[in-house]
Amino acid sequence: MRRVCEIYKVCLKTVFAQAAAYRANFILSMLITLISNILFPLITILIYQKGASFPEWSFWEVILIQAIYTIASGLAASLFSGVTWATMGHIKEGSYEIILLKPLSPLLFLAATNIQLEGVGVIIGGMVMMAISLANLGGVGIGQWCQFILLFVTGVGVLIGLFLIMAAISFKWVGNSRIPEIFESVKTFGKYPLSIFPKAVQGIVTFLIPVGMVGFFPASALLGRLDLKAFWAMIPCVLFMLFGIWIYKKMIALYEGVGG
Amino acid sequence: MIKRLKHELKVMKAVAFVTYKEWSAYRTHSLVSVFVGPIYFIVQFFIWTAVYGNHGSLAGMELEQTIRYFGAMGLIGYLVMDFADWNLQMLIRTGKFLTFALRPIHHRFFALSQKVGHRILGFFLEFVPCFLIFSYIFKIDMVPRYPVWTIISIILAFFMNFYMNYCLGMLAFWLVQANGIRSVFGLIAQVFSGALIPLVFFPEWVQKCLFFLPFQYTSYVPAMVWTGHYVMGGISLTIPQIVGVQAVAVLIVYGISEVIYRLSMKQFTGVGA
Amino acid sequence: MALIEVKHLVKSYTTYKRGSGFKETMKSFFKREAVRVHAVHDISFQIEKGEICGVLGPNGAGKSTTIKMLCGALYPTSGEITVMGKVPTRERKQYVKKIGAVFGQKSQLIWDIPPIDSFAMNKAIYDIEDEVYQKRLDEFSELFEVQEVIHKPTRVLSLGERMKCEFIMAMLHAPEIVFLDEPTIGLDVIAKAKIREFIKEMNQKGTTFILTTHDLEDVEQLANHIIIINHGKKVFDDNIDNLRKTLGEKKIVELTLAKPFKEDTIEDVVKMSQDSPYDLRLEVDVAKTSIHDFLQKLSKQLNFTDIAIKELPMEQIITRIYESK
Repeated sequence: MRRVCEIYKVCLKTVFAQAAAYRANFILSMLITLISNILFPLITILIYQKGASFPEWSFWEVILIQAIYTIASGLAASLFSGVTWATMGHIKEGSYEIILLKPLSPLLFLAATNIQLEGVGVIIGGMVMMAISLANLGGVGIGQWCQFILLFVTGVGVLIGLFLIMAAISFKWVGNSRIPEIFESVKTFGKYPLSIFPKAVQGIVTFLIPVGMVGFFPASALLGRLDLKAFWAMIPCVLFMLFGIWIYKKMIALYEGVGG
Repeated sequence: MIKRLKHELKVMKAVAFVTYKEWSAYRTHSLVSVFVGPIYFIVQFFIWTAVYGNHGSLAGMELEQTIRYFGAMGLIGYLVMDFADWNLQMLIRTGKFLTFALRPIHHRFFALSQKVGHRILGFFLEFVPCFLIFSYIFKIDMVPRYPVWTIISIILAFFMNFYMNYCLGMLAFWLVQANGIRSVFGLIAQVFSGALIPLVFFPEWVQKCLFFLPFQYTSYVPAMVWTGHYVMGGISLTIPQIVGVQAVAVLIVYGISEVIYRLSMKQFTGVGA
Repeated sequence: MALIEVKHLVKSYTTYKRGSGFKETMKSFFKREAVRVHAVHDISFQIEKGEICGVLGPNGAGKSTTIKMLCGALYPTSGEITVMGKVPTRERKQYVKKIGAVFGQKSQLIWDIPPIDSFAMNKAIYDIEDEVYQKRLDEFSELFEVQEVIHKPTRVLSLGERMKCEFIMAMLHAPEIVFLDEPTIGLDVIAKAKIREFIKEMNQKGTTFILTTHDLEDVEQLANHIIIINHGKKVFDDNIDNLRKTLGEKKIVELTLAKPFKEDTIEDVVKMSQDSPYDLRLEVDVAKTSIHDFLQKLSKQLNFTDIAIKELPMEQIITRIYESK
């Protein structure tokens, strides 16, 4: 564990040094990443301004869901999207062997060396959105915060699982730069109150591909609108993340077997 | 004159065919669209069904039109998208643009021909499957109200998007690093083309400004023509009228691209330097 | 009248100093320091029909700029260029139909598809008739022995195979003049030989070639007319025999010695330099002593573990030309 921390520390230093060397570029790309990540609440704003609404959800409640979704996406992307991109790149170039030569778990190595600092802007943007909506919604108790943190971390786990599944797919679907689009589209279900979807869809995004945990459940906890049954939904989330890790490792094993 | 036209047609056919073949190698990648397109569409379907609830119409659009709008939006994207900007800036940055200066062809015409080939592939691998899914699995009536006008409007959007992106790509003749500008432009285009939400939901003054910007002509206009009813900024135009406006907009952007192209060639060939 | 006529050609342009770092960049955004660069400075020459003309010079000498102006891709600042009685930058489309170009690093082939498809595209662009196209394609692919290769995707071809296909692509429309920029760079000996053979053969059929190169061997084996450019100025313009007379036939012999060498001279050596007691560089005039004789004498005098025989480097050739003037 100490070694892992040490590795992350060194890698973070490098990433910061790079960002500092190309400051203007970095700030610009961070802003662009932020804006492209917070375009979707615009739809919510425009809908509520026309006097319409998501049934039974107030404007600030929906914004809170979307704020938490944004923070979770930013966090997961900073830490793990690099694994997907780097794996795709190495597989395409046929250079994944380089990763296997390192005296370190390939997953850990790729995650640590591909931290995406641009995601920090998204996290901050999401936090600002969250603060504004909470200010408009009123107080939240300590218990609710604890529930929230538990569910939020689980939600980030789901996203990490998704990143790894995408990366695993790229072992087989070589050179397809559009794989992340699948990931983006599936995530969309997490951006809105689950109650707008039919029961069957709700079931899928709670138990099968549990993206409901990314924004909706943690936000419900903060709003005190959480059905305690939601805690059962953490189990499929953890399984989903473990599945992601398992399938990625499985792909590495297959890759080693073929020998490139 | 006729001989020249015939030659140009021959060149377009050859270039389009080669591009078609080139991208056919990636045809399985198009399967991503067949998955992603319907997913986005159902999400929109549920969002808007919930939002309309007991509202008969919002911002002058009924639920049925809004649903068809999002279906059309997705489908039109497969027919008009391109990355002429990315491609051109890459040619300029790597110096490969030179190989076009040494061939008896206008690069913009070459790039347009490439887009024709690429989009024909998109028509078969993305447009047709998604159209069938929307129509027969989701049971949405996706047949345009005025098929001929819709086709004209989509063809105009095809040119609009191309000339706009080509202009953007030409910036690379002056700027070493045009990526920032291109992404900012991409974001603005995404918001104001109507891809996120029908433009009638924007405040009215924004809508009025959008008449004079190129973005709505690439997707909002053809999507609305597809649904059979065009409104914006409180102005309701008949279908032939708005397609006419769109045609004028395409001509203007074509003119701008011509001016920038000539300036670019001066820059590239170093006239007067 | 000569096929290509260049008179007092000048190309200069203004660049701006760019600072590094954020502050400097912002500063240069508002106030930029202009620097005038003279890439080509008053060059005149003529090239006759049927020649193979080698344009030599070190990196950044102005070779590529000159070639680009001859192709019509770059406007001269001043001076005149007439090619086949035309000004290249005027009537560009008509002009480029009659020329061909292979720019080593800038491929015309499309990466993901077989060269044959790229050829077919150029057939349409240059408006080549079916029969003529087929005849030339057969002829060229036989000459290069690439009948099978042209049906494989470009990305799987070796550099040599790709270069051969670039040549075919540039020659299909039977250009009268072909411009080659570093045509053999990075190729192996066999591929180089094949390409040189092809150039010679096409030249015998009447095509004029103009090539820039670093490789003196290219020049020795191909060119009958040589132009050397340095710092934007022409320093030599004559045939290969006169270049040989000017330079003498000198070779560089590099030795790694088994024992340190401390003497001052060696017989038959024109010039000598020593980086360390074990590394010795000799310049030998092979017009006076054959390499064979020289090596025999050398092996008696010295005990060496490694030897390399090289052509004179471009910089030295230019110094030599300056000295001879």
